[in-house]
Amino acid sequence: MNKFFKAVAAVALGTVMMCGFAACGGGEGVGGTDAEGNKIVKIMVHVDESTAEGKAYKKRVDAFNAAYKEQKIKASITFKARTTGVGGYESVITNKFAEGTLDDIIAFDAPNCAAYADKHILYDISEIDPAETQSKFYSTSLNTYDGKLYGLPIQESSAGIYYNKSILNAAGVDVSSYTVDNPWTFEQFEAVCKKLKDAGKTPLDLQLYNARDEMAPYLLYPFIYAAGGEFTSADGLTATGYMNSDKTKSGFEFLKGLVEKGYTSNAAGPVGATDFFDGKVAMYLSSGWTIPDLDNKYPAVFGNHDRNTWGLLPYPMKEQKASATGSWSFGITNNGVKDKSAAKELLLWMTSPESSKVITDATGMIPARTDVETNYAAGSPEDVLMQQLSKTGKARPATVAYPNFSSNFCSVIYSFATQQTAATCNLTDVLNSRTNELQAEMNKHSKH
Amino acid sequence: MVTTTLIILAVFAAAFVAFAVWDVVRAKKKREKYRVGSTVTAYLMLLPAILLAFLFILLPILYSLGYAFTDFFILTPNDINFVGFDNFATAFKEIGDKGMLYHAIINTLIFVVGVVPLQIGLALGLAVFVNRKKRGVKIFKVCFFAPVVISLSVTSFLWLEILSPASTGLLNSFLGMFGIPPHDWLRDPNTAMLCIIILSAWQGCGYQMLIFLSGLTNIRNELYEAASLDGAGAWSKFVHVTLPGLRSTLVFVIITVFIGACRVMVQPMIMVGYQEHVVTLSYYMYQQGYEFRWVGYSSAIALLMTLVIGTITLIQRRILREK
Repeated sequence: MNKFFKAVAAVALGTVMMCGFAACGGGEGVGGTDAEGNKIVKIMVHVDESTAEGKAYKKRVDAFNAAYKEQKIKASITFKARTTGVGGYESVITNKFAEGTLDDIIAFDAPNCAAYADKHILYDISEIDPAETQSKFYSTSLNTYDGKLYGLPIQESSAGIYYNKSILNAAGVDVSSYTVDNPWTFEQFEAVCKKLKDAGKTPLDLQLYNARDEMAPYLLYPFIYAAGGEFTSADGLTATGYMNSDKTKSGFEFLKGLVEKGYTSNAAGPVGATDFFDGKVAMYLSSGWTIPDLDNKYPAVFGNHDRNTWGLLPYPMKEQKASATGSWSFGITNNGVKDKSAAKELLLWMTSPESSKVITDATGMIPARTDVETNYAAGSPEDVLMQQLSKTGKARPATVAYPNFSSNFCSVIYSFATQQTAATCNLTDVLNSRTNELQAEMNKHSKH
Repeated sequence: MVTTTLIILAVFAAAFVAFAVWDVVRAKKKREKYRVGSTVTAYLMLLPAILLAFLFILLPILYSLGYAFTDFFILTPNDINFVGFDNFATAFKEIGDKGMLYHAIINTLIFVVGVVPLQIGLALGLAVFVNRKKRGVKIFKVCFFAPVVISLSVTSFLWLEILSPASTGLLNSFLGMFGIPPHDWLRDPNTAMLCIIILSAWQGCGYQMLIFLSGLTNIRNELYEAASLDGAGAWSKFVHVTLPGLRSTLVFVIITVFIGACRVMVQPMIMVGYQEHVVTLSYYMYQQGYEFRWVGYSSAIALLMTLVIGTITLIQRRILREK
């Protein structure tokens, strides 16, 4: 009996340990070839396969496999939807990187470029022909860090001020003269808000209720640049003297003033996320993804594809013109595979004019390439965004401490996001405190 | 990392096997033939649970302990260096500079001081209320317990609607009926933590109510009858019969609620975000380790937090132990 139990114990223990080893050491390799001798190139994207964007990526990967059949290169795509936000997708990247199973090409959010490049997750692709390829993208869309190229954009996004034409007409406000080349000034922007408020309308939704994730920095940072402000030094490692400079403060002061004067509130309190779509707010700061929503989702207020009911204006300016840029990009990874030739072929394919067209048609976003044929009418919302990208686009700060920058930017906005808090907010103190926090984080990176 | 895991697993497995063999040998020496078989069977039955506990509890704790003394940055998992007590020095410097960690400690203290008595008081009150053999009591039991089974995220979102800063928000519109102007409850540093305390006590007290209920059933009715004969009123019976009878239950509840309160994170995260006036220690730890990617520093905070909670728990046990 004893022998029997000992034998069972030994087998059970051995089995469990083997399972443990297998679980710990698992994971599929990279850089291999399949049974037919095809060189496998793996690509990972941030959306689900069932979405329009996911289907577009799949379509282009299938087209790549058909086109490169002779060269014996085969692409394999992995979909990792951001079910738990960008952070969740990012943890997949870091886990795979740690395991040594990171895909040859990954999709990444533009602000993460600096950190990924600095920590050698991304491979330097500066050798990609500048004249032939790099020049075909909007320069602010290219993912550069420390003078080197690390990613090519899949598509681009820009934001602007959407407006409800009937509300503006009722208040006697004419904004037709403001264009990307001749944008409105901070003063003109504020004057429009005042006129709307005086006419009993709720002037503006700056999406300040989103001052807790990347949405707030993405939409609002151009106001700071427009005021002549900055966030970090060129190397992304100094915030003191930049984020709390007088010019940066003046940009935030302008936003705070809009809140304090009640331009972002109505009688019930701060404006809500659906107020513009319900026809309760005159203007709405948002990105290009709002265009299909206004075209299709709110027929009661904006009709069905009725562009006469709404329009899009560029960001206002003070010392200089600035507008939002930055979307998702593709980059080659340092995953241990030495021969990057196949990965480069796939990267160029997935960011080619054809791919760009297929993907942007699916997402409603703007192509990041200048050579993609678009049929946007002059002065149309899409045209405004395209012009902003080429003429006034300015990227978010390239810093390895970007997550901390984003958090601190949100904290500054949060401090004056409602009329009540704006009235008591000491912006100098807030900016100094947030700058110190960011600088401490940057110091950690300098040491690391 | 995989190699380290395998080494730890091998050491753990070897210790486990050695202990099992030692147990069997000891039993054999004592000529307890029957016990040998049953011991091996017992170890085999324990094995899955021990392995799971090792993988999901012990291993993360060991890793976290180790990382606390390193510069582990999540994007450089293959470049981890020993930095001694640097992370702890950074933490104490941040406290000294009144940075986010300082606010996290203060807010956690406020939360613990507020929620522990409130939640336990509510739970005890509800338990005494439903511990009666009257019609309809079961409905109350279900109602009081219902928030416990709802996820904290869901209740947080529900309370966001209640505490909406708009005049049309549930609480503000109710107060508006009495002429009180709308208030931004969660942005105001004076009211935000209070709201989170109330929500948390409301959400959690149903569970402690059940524990108190089981404790109440152990108090013999004769004690209440004797107290009545001595002329004791309801309050006197509660103080001199119910509370002493619940002493061991109360100790358990105080310790578990205290530990739970120290770990508060979901409510401030969902309802407000990473802001000075609501950030808590767990939230700070999460933000540093996950969002800002400093796993080493975050582990050091976790270690400090464990030491502090452990010490306070031991002090609590000593103070509240049976004399």
